[in-house]
Amino acid sequence: MSDDRIEGYARGLFEIARAEGTLSTVEDELYRFARSFEGSDALRTALTDEQIPAAKRLAIVEDLVGGKASATSTQLISMVVGAGRGRDLPAIIDRLVARASSAQQLALAEVRTAVALSADQQTRLAAALSAATGKQLNLKCVVDPAVIGGVVATVGDTVIDGTVRARIDQLKSRL
Amino acid sequence: MNVLGLATIVRIASEEIVTDAQGHVTTHSAWLPETAEIIYGGLSSLLIFWALFKFGGPAIKKGMAGRTERIQKELDAAAADTAAAATEAAQIRQAKGDIDGERRRIMAEAEQQAAAVLTEGRSRLTAEVADLEARADAEIAAAGARVGDELRAEIARLSTAAVDHIVTGSLDAATHQELIEGFISRVGAAR
Repeated sequence: MSDDRIEGYARGLFEIARAEGTLSTVEDELYRFARSFEGSDALRTALTDEQIPAAKRLAIVEDLVGGKASATSTQLISMVVGAGRGRDLPAIIDRLVARASSAQQLALAEVRTAVALSADQQTRLAAALSAATGKQLNLKCVVDPAVIGGVVATVGDTVIDGTVRARIDQLKSRL
Repeated sequence: MNVLGLATIVRIASEEIVTDAQGHVTTHSAWLPETAEIIYGGLSSLLIFWALFKFGGPAIKKGMAGRTERIQKELDAAAADTAAAATEAAQIRQAKGDIDGERRRIMAEAEQQAAAVLTEGRSRLTAEVADLEARADAEIAAAGARVGDELRAEIARLSTAAVDHIVTGSLDAATHQELIEGFISRVGAAR
């Protein structure tokens, strides 16, 4: 899809979420869905295969996120997938999150952990990262078993890696 | 006086002619003719000899001269042939000598070339052997290094897999929380 079209979809989703008053929740849920979408071949195939009827693809979305995310998030994902733009879903969502962060004068910070962070941990981590980077952050937490343990935080071009995976990779390089 | 005249005189002196009753005349000697026969016979012989000398002599002389000339020619031809043969023999001997010299020269040259080829071949073989040895050493070293690298990579892979397995299995909820809290503390302390 062209960059203009991605930007157009992102702007549309952003305006809908803001109009609904659920921008913060929606962008968080969509961000996590985008990461899941990127990490799962089966999900990617199911939502982008043109041979699968649109109704069936929408049913898959409903089954996956229906009970776990807000109605707005589910409807926005269904709208993109139903329009046959499922392949560009991560790019659209990333653009939406970037737009939402800009609107709040925040920098996007992605945090990956092997287990989910508690609300308290998220707050303290956001404060620590803000202090370390000197920026107000829009924290996005992603559960990624690939990190094995620990935390990796990405703020713009800065990566702070405290994962077990990184240490094992260092050990592998040394070996 | 020649022998014939002497014989005639002796004959005349010793002869005796006898006539028998029937008038038959017999010689007086059993082995010598009568004198008149000797005289006439001698004269006849002389005449014949003279005629032979007079008329046959030139022809005989001519024939003998021709024969002499022919023999001389044959002798000359034989001498010429002998000289030619000698010349040819000399040439052959010279040619033989030349051939021997050429053979010696060719043999010497061939030996020289063979020695040069041998020397060059030895040098080339020595260089090739050295090159092959160097290449083999390099290949052995490369193979050793390659095997070492592969072994190290395999050890690293197995070690990483083992570490993955052990670490993943040993990470419980408390350890996860400990790692997360440690990260938050370190990041917070890095301000």
